[in-house]
Amino acid sequence: MLLDIQDLHVHYGAIHALRGISFNVDGGEIVTLIGANGAGKSTVLRTISGLIRPTDGSMSYWIPPATGKADAAGRQVNLCSLPAHKLVDLGISQVPEGRRIFPNLTVMDNLELGAYLRHDKAEIKRDFEMVFELFPRLRERRSQAAGTLSGGEQQMLAMGRGLMSRPDLLLLDEPSMGLAPLLVKEIFQVIVRINRSGTAILLVEQNASMALAVANRAYVLETGSIALQGSAAELAKDSRVQAAYLGSA
Amino acid sequence: MTEAKATDGKRLARAAVTLGGLAAGYFLVVGLHSADILINDYYLQILIWVGINVIMGVSLNLINGFTGQFSLGHAGFMAIGAYVAASMTKLMGMPFALALLSGGIAAALGGLVVGIPTLRLAGDYLAIATLGFGEIIRVIILNLDVVGGPRGLPGIPARTTFLWVYVMAAATVVVVRNLIWSRQGRALVAIREDETAAETMGVDTTRNKIMAFVVGAFFAGVAGGLYAHKITFIDPSQFDFMKSIEALVIIVLGGLGSITGTVLAAFVVTFLPEILRAFADYRMIIYSLMLILMMLYRPRGLMGTAEFNFRQLGLANERPAPDTGGQATATGDGPPPVLETSRVSMDFGGLRAVSDFSMTLRQGELVGLIGPNGAGKTTVFNMITGLAEATSGRIHFMGEDITRRKPSEINDMGIARTFQNIRLFSNLSVLDNVRIAFRGERPYSMTEAVLRAGRYSDQEDQICRKSMEFLRLFGLEDRASEIAGKLPYGAQRRLEMARALATKPKLLLLDEPAAGMNPQETQELLELIRWIHERFDLTVLLIEHDMNLVMKLCQRIVVLDYGIVIADGSPAEIVKNRRVIEAYLGEEAV
Amino acid sequence: MSGGLDVSMVIQQLVNGLALGSVYALIALGYTMVYGIIRLINFAHGDIFMLGAYYGYFAITMFNIPFALALPLTMILAAMTGMAVERLAYKPLRQAPRIASLITAIGVSLLLQNLGLKFFEARPRPYPRIMNTVVWDLGGVVVSNVQLIMLALAVGLMVLISLIVYRTKIGKAMRAVSFDKDAARLMGIDADMVISVTFALGSALAAAGGMLVGFYYNRISPTMGTMYGLKAFVAAVVGGIGIVPGAMLGGLIMGVAEVFVIAFVSSMMKDAIAFAILIVILLFKPAGLLGRAVREKV
Repeated sequence: MLLDIQDLHVHYGAIHALRGISFNVDGGEIVTLIGANGAGKSTVLRTISGLIRPTDGSMSYWIPPATGKADAAGRQVNLCSLPAHKLVDLGISQVPEGRRIFPNLTVMDNLELGAYLRHDKAEIKRDFEMVFELFPRLRERRSQAAGTLSGGEQQMLAMGRGLMSRPDLLLLDEPSMGLAPLLVKEIFQVIVRINRSGTAILLVEQNASMALAVANRAYVLETGSIALQGSAAELAKDSRVQAAYLGSA
Repeated sequence: MTEAKATDGKRLARAAVTLGGLAAGYFLVVGLHSADILINDYYLQILIWVGINVIMGVSLNLINGFTGQFSLGHAGFMAIGAYVAASMTKLMGMPFALALLSGGIAAALGGLVVGIPTLRLAGDYLAIATLGFGEIIRVIILNLDVVGGPRGLPGIPARTTFLWVYVMAAATVVVVRNLIWSRQGRALVAIREDETAAETMGVDTTRNKIMAFVVGAFFAGVAGGLYAHKITFIDPSQFDFMKSIEALVIIVLGGLGSITGTVLAAFVVTFLPEILRAFADYRMIIYSLMLILMMLYRPRGLMGTAEFNFRQLGLANERPAPDTGGQATATGDGPPPVLETSRVSMDFGGLRAVSDFSMTLRQGELVGLIGPNGAGKTTVFNMITGLAEATSGRIHFMGEDITRRKPSEINDMGIARTFQNIRLFSNLSVLDNVRIAFRGERPYSMTEAVLRAGRYSDQEDQICRKSMEFLRLFGLEDRASEIAGKLPYGAQRRLEMARALATKPKLLLLDEPAAGMNPQETQELLELIRWIHERFDLTVLLIEHDMNLVMKLCQRIVVLDYGIVIADGSPAEIVKNRRVIEAYLGEEAV
Repeated sequence: MSGGLDVSMVIQQLVNGLALGSVYALIALGYTMVYGIIRLINFAHGDIFMLGAYYGYFAITMFNIPFALALPLTMILAAMTGMAVERLAYKPLRQAPRIASLITAIGVSLLLQNLGLKFFEARPRPYPRIMNTVVWDLGGVVVSNVQLIMLALAVGLMVLISLIVYRTKIGKAMRAVSFDKDAARLMGIDADMVISVTFALGSALAAAGGMLVGFYYNRISPTMGTMYGLKAFVAAVVGGIGIVPGAMLGGLIMGVAEVFVIAFVSSMMKDAIAFAILIVILLFKPAGLLGRAVREKV
């Protein structure tokens, strides 16, 4: 198991945002968290990446043996007290909600920052190619300021930047948000391709039908707790999920 | 009738408590002083300085704390007041009251002169510009030989007594407080919370900001007059940047947006250095250390934005319960055009965001505007609502050209909007969000607000009642006193619509209202939009990515791509349109 | 002088103005970098500049350290002071309203100034002479070796800081943190460390400025930080706050303008010119000369 979350609680002041949720992600999987706005989906990701501190519960991460981090391989790490900037080094990368690219820097600069902790220049170069292959449009715009990209291109850049650290686990926060239907399809196709190359993905998504179509397993989050879980195919057929999240009532 | 009388009674009671309390405060201090209990001559002198600092603080809080305009030049206005008042008494032998008033008016004029150009700036840039003006005022005085230049102006008659300071400080507090709790005050707070949203709610932001600046400067000028006639010798170095900082420290320590906090902080800041006199050489070192520590431990000031108020005395005005009143609906004959845009274009530094956009909206239509990201949909909204000025082309609303109008004027004419990323006044209550949007036929004046006279009370009651009606219509009446930013997402979207409708629009622009909603919430939204469309006899233009919603809701759909209209027609036509499928929907459409 | 335009006089003032301007530019860099990264107007920066002047003074007079060594030593000490101020006074307020940090910065400024008044004495001190002044007369324009050294040092430091900001990894991290701190942390950037480095660099430059002022004007005092600081800050805004080349440009403009006003108008107006330029620039270029106005996205 790559990521194991047990009984996670988060408070914002007096608000109990996460009420003891447990879930896990295995190597090579796509796991999706779906749920309504304010259910706490983004809070889960922000807690994992250390931007928010949990009030209770455990979060552990196994560094897979196959990574280059030989001394750390196979080690279990407690994520609860780790600052955000330490996570990348473990092989976890987050693509935040709303893209959060660096608008005044060029596309290349943004991608380079994704590889901030790496020193293997030749490999970094190869990964630029990998990103440009996934997102050909970024290659055309490599020396353009990121802020001038369209919403869809910015999402691509954010994902490419997230991949530049060569993560074993990629956390994606609402990649379809605010995108036109055509682009959403494109982005989800790339998500599947990234996963096929061996990266596990935890996908938080509002667009439940798309998320369930690409994921292996899914969890439904309701007001800070997990209401349903199972294989994505099963949940897509579940009448409760259909009524509430797939709009086929 | 009886209810109205009871309300009137409470109103009188509150006025009586205010005046009585103020008078009691004065006689208490004077009594204690003459009996030499607690307050000796020395303390009475310090209380005079406290009063001057109260005026400085409260007047700056109106600008900084309530309107959110970061000013660092308050000492400049104080200097104007001090020099004008001192010149009048010393050089011209005018009476003190007239001198104080003239000082205030001169400072207010200064506020106008400074305000008009600088208020286009925002945030830190405004702060720096006001700092610059403050220094320039000082240097101008430094070069004025009539008032002594760098040598200063000695021998000013010592006219400032405790009574003068007390009355002026009380007047400042009452005026600012009454102003804040009025429609003008709500406009100021709206500007602080979200200037863009305030503009589209019909708040003339420039006028209101200048008003706050002028009123604030007036009282700073009065404080300057009192100061000059207390210290009896003034020179330009007394009104330097540190003096502005002193006023800023008072309001930050007291809590931005808290009048009572400011008064409290004025006491602390005035007495502290006096107490520290015992430490002689180390006085300023300890003072600055304490300032740092206070900020580290109470970064939101002593009071935050809280106030000590009448509710705590049980004299709060129980606002009358709202009754379900029918909204007057205007009936038009036939569907005349409401909005016409003709060849409207928008360039952003060489990039053409919208290109020759032409469309006509007829009365009562419900039209969807769709297109890929970056196609220019929101830019179209911004141009219609005046937030962005079209590079070329014309926009007509109800036959009038609105191309170059200000957002507040456009809203006044009857266009309201919501925003893609919800722009509520998130620190204000749900009720206040709607109240800001309400305007009466002949709204009460600022004088009426300050004196709480004339049409003030009736209109306030009416605004409150009408606002509650709106909240009820949107299922928000139980949440009226909650903080808007803490509402659940769906309720925030509803509140934003309620707020837009409270401005009584004829045309409503909705920017991605379903963004971030699940299918269930989207379904509810669909019904809500249909209902308000009918209920308020509106014309609606809607930007949305959720094709399901657009198809079900809209009678007509306009498709935008790269700033160009590529299709315009019924939903059925649009889904079959080749160009739309290529640009937007993708192969297996909807 | 024939009343009107005297070319050599104008050139002379230009030279003097550039010398003063280079000091403003050095101080302005610290303001601009700190503002860029944590959006704080660091009012204590002028006092770090003052401390730098005194560190250098004591290094040379009490410990007889040669100038070439005293300068880097002073810069290191000031960098440490700047980092300490950030850690103790600003870091705890990262989540607080910005105005609380601003007041804290004013508090730190007052504190440093009053500590200076107490421990360095209020009287202005003459700065130690580190070399004999050599003056060249180039056709009516007088240039001294002190001016040249000052300009060369200032320009050298500015080139160095530009290289750090635009060419190194830490520079890229600084820019990333200044745009979006959380996003930068997700890249593995230790934002707190980057902020510390920013304060260290800014403080070191200010300290160098402090020593150069002592060296050139031969006079330092514990309250010198206020006016120099304010004007350098104005310079940073005029150039476009948060923009490194902007601070340099702004500094030079301030220096030249001030010297010209003293020479051709009145020395009493010298403090007004900085602010007059500021207001004129802000009214026409609200984000400063090199700044780009950011449209709020609606």
